[in-house]
Amino acid sequence: MIDKRIAQEVLDAALESGGDFSELFMEDTTGTTISMANGTVENASYKRNCGAGVRVLKGTRSAYAYTADMSRESLLWAAKAASAIIEGNDKYSAKDFMEKKYSITPSVAFSQIDNNKRIALMKQAYEAAKSYSAEISQVTVRYLDVDKNIFVCNSNGVFASDRRPRTRMAIQSVASSGTEFQTGFEGPGLGMGFEAYDKIDVCAAAIQSAKTAVTMLHAPECPSGIMPVVIDGGFGGVIFHEACGHSLEATAVAKGNSVFCGKLGQKIASDKVSAVDDGTLKGEWGTISIDDEGTPSTRNLLIENGILKNYMIDLLGSRIMNMPVTGSSRRESYEYAPTSRMTNTFILAGEDDEDEMISSMGDGIFASRMGGGSVNPITGEFNFAVSEGYLVKDGKIVSPVRGATLIGKGSQILLKIDRVGKKLWLGQGMCGSVSGSIPTNVGQPRIRVSEITVGGRG
Amino acid sequence: MDIKEFRVKAFEKALEKGCDNAEIYFVNGEDLSVACRNGELEKYSVSRSYGINLRVQIGNKQGYAYTEMLENPEELVARAVDNAKAVETEDVHPMQAKCIYESVPRKEYEFTTLSEKEKIALAIELEKKAIASDERINKVVSCNLVTGIMKTGLYNTLGLEAEREQDMAFSYVLPVAEENGDVKEGMAYRTGDGILDVDGCAKEAANNAIEQLGAESVPSGEYSIILKNSAAADLLEAFTPIFSAEAAQKGLSLLNGKEGEVVASDIITIIDNPMHEINPRAFDDEGVPSKAKHVVDKGVLKTLLHNLKTAKKAGVESTSNAGRSASGPIGVSPSVFYIEPGDKSFDELKNQMSNGIIINDVSGLNAGINTVSGDFSLIASGLLVENGVVVRPVEQITIASSFFELMKNIIAIGSDMKFGIPFGATIGSPSLLVKKIAVSGK
Repeated sequence: MIDKRIAQEVLDAALESGGDFSELFMEDTTGTTISMANGTVENASYKRNCGAGVRVLKGTRSAYAYTADMSRESLLWAAKAASAIIEGNDKYSAKDFMEKKYSITPSVAFSQIDNNKRIALMKQAYEAAKSYSAEISQVTVRYLDVDKNIFVCNSNGVFASDRRPRTRMAIQSVASSGTEFQTGFEGPGLGMGFEAYDKIDVCAAAIQSAKTAVTMLHAPECPSGIMPVVIDGGFGGVIFHEACGHSLEATAVAKGNSVFCGKLGQKIASDKVSAVDDGTLKGEWGTISIDDEGTPSTRNLLIENGILKNYMIDLLGSRIMNMPVTGSSRRESYEYAPTSRMTNTFILAGEDDEDEMISSMGDGIFASRMGGGSVNPITGEFNFAVSEGYLVKDGKIVSPVRGATLIGKGSQILLKIDRVGKKLWLGQGMCGSVSGSIPTNVGQPRIRVSEITVGGRG
Repeated sequence: MDIKEFRVKAFEKALEKGCDNAEIYFVNGEDLSVACRNGELEKYSVSRSYGINLRVQIGNKQGYAYTEMLENPEELVARAVDNAKAVETEDVHPMQAKCIYESVPRKEYEFTTLSEKEKIALAIELEKKAIASDERINKVVSCNLVTGIMKTGLYNTLGLEAEREQDMAFSYVLPVAEENGDVKEGMAYRTGDGILDVDGCAKEAANNAIEQLGAESVPSGEYSIILKNSAAADLLEAFTPIFSAEAAQKGLSLLNGKEGEVVASDIITIIDNPMHEINPRAFDDEGVPSKAKHVVDKGVLKTLLHNLKTAKKAGVESTSNAGRSASGPIGVSPSVFYIEPGDKSFDELKNQMSNGIIINDVSGLNAGINTVSGDFSLIASGLLVENGVVVRPVEQITIASSFFELMKNIIAIGSDMKFGIPFGATIGSPSLLVKKIAVSGK
């Protein structure tokens, strides 16, 4: 993406005012988005994002400048602009580059696919959802593919490129009674080329979204109170992502803004819980070969049998925490300086029986589909929405319930997980934080939490 | 290649390729963002960005293509034409022809005269003052200040040439209060020249943290609540998609076809005014001249928000609410959208409520609301009020209802108008007294 001499020149210019580290990040990303409502293509758009960002560090101070213009003059402007607020007497210069090329190479590149193929898949999904029930009043389908090409070099000798194709189909079904609407959503995606749709069953996903919507249309309001909750696998892992994952990012930990600060080697979860952040999984939605600082991604064991083992750490975090980087530094685009983020983050499979955890729970809620959630890393307070839930009485599912949210504190909920099922699967999401919106997988087997606050209005 | 040359070539090529019309939406901006910590500048970011969004029309079909590379307009045209051919909807999307706009002078701000150094000093001072404001405040989670200028240009083959420049600034600080092992975070923000009000912002943020110290839940049940202005604005903002004619026409809003019907309590008036002084603009994102309108008038839905496409379909005029991201297709978005303030002071609202909860903050808006069903269930915190007097702080509760029910349950409106941070749209509300809502706690 760039001539080595220019790269060297930019990195050196960025160090001129006394910075001890400089980095140049560039990207050229193309993508297609198509949206469909009621089986009709409404919009199709193509997008190419390209630009560069220069980062300069001095100790734990960081400066960043970015520009859409990738000319030499513009890169030098960015180097100067970023280094303008760095002051120091030491003079560093960039080390010799060690070139590395990484790529998730698609079998079928998106550039070889014409819109008709994309639209044919979307129509399959639409038909499957629409024909699920006469109560389905609307189905919106959004297809997207992205071919992201990044390059990063820094004054420590990193000179690396990566290619990251990914694609996703987001299906929303609406069930209507005339006066009331309920929705269901599924958004399967993978980190590969168009061959992803050999693996993704878009019709199964569409039917599931329709089932959620119709089930919720006939569901009474969820009761509120403190009760046991069984949370199904896949996107149910959003509980771990929100309640724990964000608080294990150096972004929060390095500043002392996390409930898990200083807890390495200590018990933070029930013995049944082991969890990883694994950016190396082949072809997954959150997978990266290298992170956005050029560090190869890793399988990072975060929690082992309830004991906190590691955090997710970027370069700046590693300087403050005096711990090694974990290949977790990510950003939405060149418009963001990178920071520690999640990739594919999930609770590992356990040994408990999936049916037993419901039959032995007494009265509570079975959350079979989860919506999104959010957390305050300072207090650890989280909330997330149950998009398809069922009332359990005396160990038996008695009826669907709508409108439930689960709220609590991450540090408490992890200790209350008393069942972890055998079968693990993942779910796709977009995670928003200080360095923008990035694709991440959440995941878990079916789990049970012995008690949690359920918000509802029944 | 500069943008003008790119534009001319792209239009030539589009017409040559058989397009009936072509349009370029060009956004470029410069931003400065600083964050400080422990009295020092911690993060600093500056940027120069731009993007070109091309829209072409062939008959009733239109396609989009966006790039940040000022070269090869031919390829961009080819992509847009490809996308137009993929479109199936027969809905006509008229393109705005050349027109004359009411002159909206660029708003003059004092903050634009500040040097970079002065802006950094302002952020550092904000952090310092937040910490100094009370001994229970021991640190600040984040303290940021952002300023920027955004230029938008809209050009098409029908002769439209519309340009605008907007200055933007905001700052926020999140101090943490600690007492007897209890930790609470507070937050306050300022926008526009408000960023110069360092004392007020620091004090408000610190107070927000301190007043939550010792908070506990409340028993589940039905409560009267006062939704404080900023929380009410947050909730209104999250639900603005229900006022979109685009959502309504697709069967994604329960307000579809409800024009002329009662949708809220008769004291509720909701206004969308693109010319409002807080963030004025002369035209919307497809070049339609700005119009102020009552969306809800004394509880009755007057109009949904329209762009040229939804207006054509509904047989009405556009309400000048076309909205788009730099790279995306044209949709519908509010402009300056707010609940009209009433005449009651906050104390009067509190006395009228007598017993209930003041909701200072709602969180989890990305997860706990559904704009299609209208349902929400949100984490909230605030203050318990008995006999008109605040008795203690409240946390770990959720408030749950449907937006439509909530709008009908509002029985009094404060005079304390507050606007949120202007990201594209600017949403505002005064404090609202709600007769009853389901609260789940302990």
